Amino acid sequence: MLTIGLTHYLVLAAVLFCCGLYVMTTKRNAVGILIGAELVLNAACLNLVAFSRYRTGRLDGQIAALFVIVLAAAEAAIAIAIFVNYYRLLSTIDADEGRQLRG
Amino acid sequence: MKLLLANTWLPTSAELHLFSPELVLTGTIVAVLLVALVAGRRPQLSAMIALLGALLGVLATAHVARVVGDGGLGGLAPPGEPPMLIADRFSVFFKLFLFVLLAAIIWLWLTGTIERRMRATSRPVGDVGGPEFFVLLLTSALGMMLMVGSLNLLVIIIAMETASLPSYAIVAADRRSRLGAEAALKYVLFGAASAAIMVYGVSLLYGRFGTLDLGAVAQASSLWSHQQDAGATGTDWLFCLGLAALGVGVVFKIAAVPMHYWCPDVFEGAPIEITTWLSIASKAAGLGLLLRIVTTLGGAAAGGTHHTELLAWAIGILAAVTCTVGNLAALRQESVKRILAYSSIAHAGYMMMAAAILVAPAGTAANVGISAVVAYLLVYLLMNVGAFGAAALVTWHAGTDHLSAFTGLGRRAPWIAVPLAVCLFSLVGLPPLGGFAAKWFLLVALGTSAAAQPWLWGLVVIAVVNTAISLYYYVRIIRQMFLTDDATLPRLQVPFGGLALVNVCAVVILLIGTLWFSPLGERAGRLASNLYVQPTPPALTLQP
Repeated sequence: MLTIGLTHYLVLAAVLFCCGLYVMTTKRNAVGILIGAELVLNAACLNLVAFSRYRTGRLDGQIAALFVIVLAAAEAAIAIAIFVNYYRLLSTIDADEGRQLRG
Repeated sequence: MKLLLANTWLPTSAELHLFSPELVLTGTIVAVLLVALVAGRRPQLSAMIALLGALLGVLATAHVARVVGDGGLGGLAPPGEPPMLIADRFSVFFKLFLFVLLAAIIWLWLTGTIERRMRATSRPVGDVGGPEFFVLLLTSALGMMLMVGSLNLLVIIIAMETASLPSYAIVAADRRSRLGAEAALKYVLFGAASAAIMVYGVSLLYGRFGTLDLGAVAQASSLWSHQQDAGATGTDWLFCLGLAALGVGVVFKIAAVPMHYWCPDVFEGAPIEITTWLSIASKAAGLGLLLRIVTTLGGAAAGGTHHTELLAWAIGILAAVTCTVGNLAALRQESVKRILAYSSIAHAGYMMMAAAILVAPAGTAANVGISAVVAYLLVYLLMNVGAFGAAALVTWHAGTDHLSAFTGLGRRAPWIAVPLAVCLFSLVGLPPLGGFAAKWFLLVALGTSAAAQPWLWGLVVIAVVNTAISLYYYVRIIRQMFLTDDATLPRLQVPFGGLALVNVCAVVILLIGTLWFSPLGERAGRLASNLYVQPTPPALTLQP
């Protein structure tokens, strides 16, 4: 029978990280890019919890994961407020449409 | 409840004393909010409270500076555990730096409000203010102070986000500005991406070393390197990957290559008070954090191991590319805000060069890099507040920050044009101005350390070549002010507060370049002399 160990969690987290990185670099929709960042943050959380359970045996990794979840929520709140403001003024949510500032 | 508290660790009042600057700042944030609740929405009242808080913060920091002795103090952790926050002269310097800058920014804002009220009938575009504006400004200052005062990776993450999140929002403080909306969007997307990668890097470091304390990470990694030196040399890839991912977040804050794309756009789109704030404070805090990380990792390794060498090379190359890219891009800009944005990227590159000094050669003072950056930052604060302040006064008048708005300024407003010229020449680094003193200390630090790391001479050459390149675009602004004129343009009426700010900056820059040249170096050297060092490394127990 297969026992789930540290490696499985780390591989899952690495896959999540790569998905997040791919989404962040290819998406043009601002919400899509934010979701990519959230995927990477979740990969980090998974890493922290898995290392804390299997490697250090201390609780600091799990506490850190809790803090990261709170930070992700705060970041999403600010980001979405900025997206709403952008949409109100420019009627689009495409990050590539911002072309007034360049050079 | 009593039983629970008996077993719970609580900070002592002596420890809380050490962090009174942060507590004063937090109190100011609450005060701004509460007064707005009682007295209603009065932007000028909020500004006055924030200004008062910043001045109180200066007093609190001065008090802490007397308490902090050699070796610094760690605090806010149970006995025997690595500290959550630390207080040494380096972090005290940054607190003082940020409080003074906050006061200058609020002063600039007050000037701007008076200026805009003088000329506009209704609420004009570019008018920002209100309690939320100051709460965001103060909160980002709080985050920046915490960034420089910790070695715990979790606290570093939280501090960076506390600094970043309000900055994203405050860029779009003027809700009717399309440029502001676009700048904030770009800033938040870049910021979210780099912060996420940084947190992933921290999780890798935690997994590799089993601790969130950077001091313990340094101990463990140097131990590992010495074991490796005995046998085959190899690279600890997980450590390097984690460190590189952590570096992405730090480099984003400094706005160095390759995370610099947000910088000019955000600086152009943001209200000019916020541009000034971000161009100085965000970079200073990022550099402080970088120096803290680098000295912790390099200090424990005790003399050039494989990994410190790699780290120094990486930082050196990034610094060289950053200042070259900043200077070359500034050459073809027409907007003064953008020129100053690229110039700030270039200056971040110069300062990052000092962070590449990891191995101090025998016989020289330790941390020469840190004292060079401290001196540079002090002068940089004055130069940028002066230059951005003068640009703000002109921009409020002309309604644009295009180079043409500065035509004939030498005749139209000599009290702006002369201090602006002083600040710009100082940014180039010409004697007898403060910018020359700053660059001199930096180059001397690089040169003396080149005994241990010969490739640092390369950085010296790059810095000098870049200084020559930068002369072109700074002088372009000065030429526009003094050598071109349009007789139809009227004289500028500017508020006294703004004139006082830019002229004080210019005079202090002149003084630093002449009378205060060597005092600056001595003061900076003393500030860097007592970095916090961990007394005893905690034992690590890792399960296989």
